[in-house]
Amino acid sequence: MAANDIQPEPVQIDFSNELLSSPELFQRRSQSHKIPVRGQKEFLPNDSVQQMACLQKTLDEHWMLVTEERVERVGNLVNADWIPEEKLVKLQSPAGKFWQTMGFSDQGKQCLFPEEALYLMESGNVQVFYQDLPLSIQEGYESFLSDETVTLLQYQVFGHLKRLGYVVNRFDTRLPSLYKQQLNLHLSSNRPSKQPKRKWSQSPSFRPCNKKSTASPEESAGQHEGEIKTSVPYSSVEDPGQLQTQQAFQDEILKSDPELDSAPGRNWWTNISSQPQPDSFQTSVRYWDFSCIFFPDLGSLSGNCACLPPPDPSLLPGALQVPECHMAHWHRNINLKEEYRSKQKQQREQHRQRCNINDDQGVRRCRNWVEYLELVKKRRSQQHNKRLTYLREQEVMPLSQPGKCSSHRELLEQVNIIQSYDLLVANSRLPSSDQWRINFNVYQPDTEFKKSYPGKPYTRLCVCSFDGPVPNLHVLKQLSFQSGDVSVTFAVVDHGDISFYCFKEFKLPTDVY
Amino acid sequence: MSTEAPEKAGDEAPSSGGGAGTGGGSRFDLEKETELRFEVEAGERVQLELLSGLAEVFGSELNRNKKYTFGAGSKIAVFTWQGCSLSLSGKTEVAYVSKDTPMLLYLNTHAALEQMRRQAEKDNERGPRVMVVGPTDVGKSTVCRLLLNYAVRLGRRPTLVELDVGQSSVSVPGTMSALYIERPADVEEGFSVQAPLVFHFGSTSPGTNIKLYNKLTSCLAEVFSQRCEVNRKASVGGCIINTCGWVKGSGYQALVHCASAFQVDVVLVLDQERLYNELKRDLPHFVRVVLLPKSGGVVERSKDCRRETRDDKIREYFYGFRGTTFYPHAFDVRFSDVRIYKIGAPSIPDSCLPLGMSQDDTQLKLVPVSPGRDLTHHVLSVSCVEDDAEGGESRSRGILESPVCGFIVVTAVDTQAQVMTVLAPAPRPLPRHTLLIMDIRFIDLK
Repeated sequence: MAANDIQPEPVQIDFSNELLSSPELFQRRSQSHKIPVRGQKEFLPNDSVQQMACLQKTLDEHWMLVTEERVERVGNLVNADWIPEEKLVKLQSPAGKFWQTMGFSDQGKQCLFPEEALYLMESGNVQVFYQDLPLSIQEGYESFLSDETVTLLQYQVFGHLKRLGYVVNRFDTRLPSLYKQQLNLHLSSNRPSKQPKRKWSQSPSFRPCNKKSTASPEESAGQHEGEIKTSVPYSSVEDPGQLQTQQAFQDEILKSDPELDSAPGRNWWTNISSQPQPDSFQTSVRYWDFSCIFFPDLGSLSGNCACLPPPDPSLLPGALQVPECHMAHWHRNINLKEEYRSKQKQQREQHRQRCNINDDQGVRRCRNWVEYLELVKKRRSQQHNKRLTYLREQEVMPLSQPGKCSSHRELLEQVNIIQSYDLLVANSRLPSSDQWRINFNVYQPDTEFKKSYPGKPYTRLCVCSFDGPVPNLHVLKQLSFQSGDVSVTFAVVDHGDISFYCFKEFKLPTDVY
Repeated sequence: MSTEAPEKAGDEAPSSGGGAGTGGGSRFDLEKETELRFEVEAGERVQLELLSGLAEVFGSELNRNKKYTFGAGSKIAVFTWQGCSLSLSGKTEVAYVSKDTPMLLYLNTHAALEQMRRQAEKDNERGPRVMVVGPTDVGKSTVCRLLLNYAVRLGRRPTLVELDVGQSSVSVPGTMSALYIERPADVEEGFSVQAPLVFHFGSTSPGTNIKLYNKLTSCLAEVFSQRCEVNRKASVGGCIINTCGWVKGSGYQALVHCASAFQVDVVLVLDQERLYNELKRDLPHFVRVVLLPKSGGVVERSKDCRRETRDDKIREYFYGFRGTTFYPHAFDVRFSDVRIYKIGAPSIPDSCLPLGMSQDDTQLKLVPVSPGRDLTHHVLSVSCVEDDAEGGESRSRGILESPVCGFIVVTAVDTQAQVMTVLAPAPRPLPRHTLLIMDIRFIDLK
């Protein structure tokens, strides 16, 4: 009997030490196996002793649970090897009952995906070895979860659903062709051979992307996608040529999708886009060089230029010859007086004093009025849109006038300003975004599930973080297109708490009869 | 005025003594770069003659041995670059020679503008557009006149844009106008007013309808730009914009708006550092803002004085300079023949407005006015807009933006007979039948 500990030390410790004696085993059996109840969440700290104590108790219970040594029968554990190069876990001994819903065979070898292996490690079904040493659960978390395989967020959702009994599979992001989708070919094509696919995912067309993508998350997500392709059965029907064009297309999108601008590590893109802009104005630039046209400006008077040189007589009427002009004397006569202003006005004035429009980079870049006015107009229209004043620009009209409609249908049509919108219509050409992708297929527990013929999933999952952005309509359309006729559920992870959201379509009633 | 008092006492004796003694007037010998300043007493006239040397009045050169007559209330400065001797006859309120003039600074300003015109000519670009700003009574109009005179004397064709609705130097008060300058200003009469472009504003203060003021500023700018496109000389000459003395609050905003509408290159700020700093802050960096001093000779004008100048300006419109050259016509106009409008409806509290309407809309609205007794003595602008039978809504926009072809004054209203008697520069009939009412009244007394 062996116990896998959370601590990393057991790796160094000799195995025989891990074996338990019979009294110890009896002690284990008599221990309570209850999971502590978390209770209601406290939203605000109120600094009370009661709250502190309650919190401490919960924490202690949690630690207790986590540090508790798990006891398993060695004979029940399936041994497996972790192959980091392939990001796969290969089984050494025959698989258990879990094989019904998890894993796949590759070249006669039974394999598990890292997230599956980790889940099975946690539930005490598998012991994974790496370089002939068993991995602890903590090491499993560290080595299995990465951007290239499955992220922690995704694993949390995966584990959560697995514990609830659902069957969870990786989802293939690559779209089956529209034609095949229409034919429902992907449902009937079964028993694929995985071998050729592995080759494709490492095809040269994909490699450049891999090389540069070691750090940036969205590109490594691209690799992730490649990885997924190896696993999902029905994708094999497509021929390699089509796959390559698809990848080329996606690469293209990588470069052109504006959403990537905001992604970290992509700043070079925004730099480039802002660079050529001034150049396009080059032809129309015109401005006076006031460094060689001297105005007798008393405001910008400094010591050395207090004396203006006499202007060229040809510039003056009657070819006047005038002496140089001393300005210091005039500066004294200027009206510097601050007129009285109320306090409120003064404050406003001071506030305005601080915002010099020329401090603005955009304004500084303008070289003439045309550019400046364009900038102002652009900014104003942006603000305009923010305030939704366009609602007021048009004449205010009643949506429907009495006597104009003869039926309820007609009236409802007129009142219906927001057109109903079908997520699936006209979106086949939408570029896919890297940030949003469907991660898992979820199947109902309790069915006669077959890995080779999984059938239509219950739902498809898109895992996202509570801190991340909210999906926009574009994303919704794209995901629902990928998903086809299966609904997409968003699993939102908030520090381990998982909530599920989905967008349900509904139709406004069109006729009351 | 009060600052001038001690000088006045000192100067009065020799000046009036000389005038009374010889009848030929007192003689002033000016050194180079000095100026003779004098004001004409009420009800009096003063004659000025250049005896020797060269002299100029606000940039217009004086002819030797020609007698120039200045009417009551004139405030004149005769400047000489080279030195001259002058003779002054008639009763002056003040007459003194000053060495302390900012003319050299103004001349340098002109030199800079001229440099810009040269560059514009060479590069086939547009010439400098200059806005002159400053509080009231700092000599804005005078600086404009000076710069225009200097430019036109060098063969340039600058445009004067007059945005000072209170004291317009081009047309009657309550209008905004642009004038293409082809020759230097007459020493006595000022610029010859030939085919100016005049827009109806209707009041002597931009504050009464700032929205309209800004709109008309944009209209003028648009027309000026169109002219620049077809007339190369006008484009190179650029423009000089004279503004109101209202430099706070919405008056200041109007200045900023004007600067962007005309896309000015240079802003000349007269005598107020605060305004200078504000404009430096609120105008983009490529606009050159220049602070200039005011001349010591600038006199503060009282409210009455301003009103009188306005009255004179309207009288000049009908009767010509000094009331001698033109002979206006008086005739009856039937109410049914004309449509009278007022621009700007009275403001309504927001709570009474329909949903989605904003208050600004009322300021540019044309309100039909039914003629009545209260119309008497009002100045009306005759709009250039075409008289088509049924105007409707679409045309009301055109009236605001179309220039004015002339002015009439209602001298009497007969509500019984449904006619009004008007004073017009031309005989009947009226060239157009759309009339816009002004807040300004003119009572034809003289």
